[in-house]
Amino acid sequence: MLQSLAALQSLLVGVVLIWSARIKLFDRRAAEQARTSALGTLLGAERAVPAYRVLGGAELLLGILLVLPPAPVAEPLAAAALAAGFVGYLGYARRVAPDASCGCLSAKATPVTGRSIARAGLLVLAGLVGIAAGGTYWLPALTGSPAASAGLLLAEAALVVAFSPEFDSYWLLPLRRLRARLTHPLRGGSGVPLLASVQQLQLSAAYRQVGTLLTSDVRDHWLEESWRMVCYSARYQGRAATAVFAVPAGEVAPDRVRVALVDDSTGATLVSLADPAYAT
Amino acid sequence: MATTMDRRRLLSTAVLGGAGIAGATALGSLAPEAAFAAEPVKIEPGAPDPNFAEGRVTSITGSVVLLAGSDGALHRIQVTNGTSIWKFQPTTFDRLEKGDGMYVRGVRLPDGTLAADSLWANIVNLTAHIASVGRNVLHLDHHGKRLIGHVVPGTTAAVYNGTPAISDVSLLKVGGHVQVIGAWHPDTNEISIATVYAAN
Repeated sequence: MLQSLAALQSLLVGVVLIWSARIKLFDRRAAEQARTSALGTLLGAERAVPAYRVLGGAELLLGILLVLPPAPVAEPLAAAALAAGFVGYLGYARRVAPDASCGCLSAKATPVTGRSIARAGLLVLAGLVGIAAGGTYWLPALTGSPAASAGLLLAEAALVVAFSPEFDSYWLLPLRRLRARLTHPLRGGSGVPLLASVQQLQLSAAYRQVGTLLTSDVRDHWLEESWRMVCYSARYQGRAATAVFAVPAGEVAPDRVRVALVDDSTGATLVSLADPAYAT
Repeated sequence: MATTMDRRRLLSTAVLGGAGIAGATALGSLAPEAAFAAEPVKIEPGAPDPNFAEGRVTSITGSVVLLAGSDGALHRIQVTNGTSIWKFQPTTFDRLEKGDGMYVRGVRLPDGTLAADSLWANIVNLTAHIASVGRNVLHLDHHGKRLIGHVVPGTTAAVYNGTPAISDVSLLKVGGHVQVIGAWHPDTNEISIATVYAAN
């Protein structure tokens, strides 16, 4: 029983290697990305693409050998060695080029994380367990106890997918979206944000009039009945002043925005502007 | 506090009182030529803008802030009553702390001090995508690095498709790309989100 379950590991590792090789050999986007991946940082951009292709070829060859009969012990051993090489490469890449993509299982640029290293580790483990099969082919094991074998393979494949950030958009993001739809974690924002008032005042004629006099960003703001007051520093005729805008808080009406310039030292109103149509 | 209220009342009366209402052209022409006629700022190409400084606060003495710039330069910043101070929202000088990062715009005085007109503490502007959402928290993937963005109800604003800002951030989608203006919590991977721009 244990021996037949061990024999199944060759199928799993073989399929993962063929999938990985498919990306490396036939995906044009992935080859382009190899330049910017950790491999490009380690080997140089010109050597990265050929190295990436050679690696893909080796993966394809080993993958096919693992999936097809016969099943000598050397095959899972080689797979474990290759996967151990990946662990080493990923660990090194994470230290040397932490921002670069790993270029592993997808054309999507995904930086090296603990998960990709765990996935390579999983393959090392599967390869080592595969050695215990002692040369048994996986097909008889699968037909011998189909339910247990399929269950084990599915569980292992699920682990590989769970450890692959490249596949997150197919299962993790939809799950998170569903959770957000059910729990509404971002509900509760209400009221008119300051930015809405600032956007409105920047569209107003009053702002166009005094805009060149302003020296600062928003200094103070508060609500006054149906108005939001927004203050800026200004200089007018050589005097330090405060430009106070009154912006309608509950509606979008840039025409109604008013402004007054108040002398900072005397408190006297220097200028007060409003569209005559709305002046009360 | 009382003086703040008195001052706010004075300013409100000035703008809403109606006294001295002038027409929209009291300050001169509305034509764009007038607006662009202002003297351009003279800076040598490639030279640093003398009226700008950035860095982390190393000390605050009275109204003078010392900054250590990211290029190694040290800046003396003089904050005045007319300086606008932003730290997640418009705030006051006493909220600034040692360790805050900041951008300052102002006027360079002859002794090298920068008299600050506007000061933005810990402000960040970044593009990211939303990896997941929690209660008033956005987990952001910023070019492969994870950031935690806190939504502050009532202060955080959302702009969808360039329409006017609103307070409702619930339209943000997991997996969606966003641009975030926020305030960094120094020496952490957390920010408070002031404005989030998203397509919807």
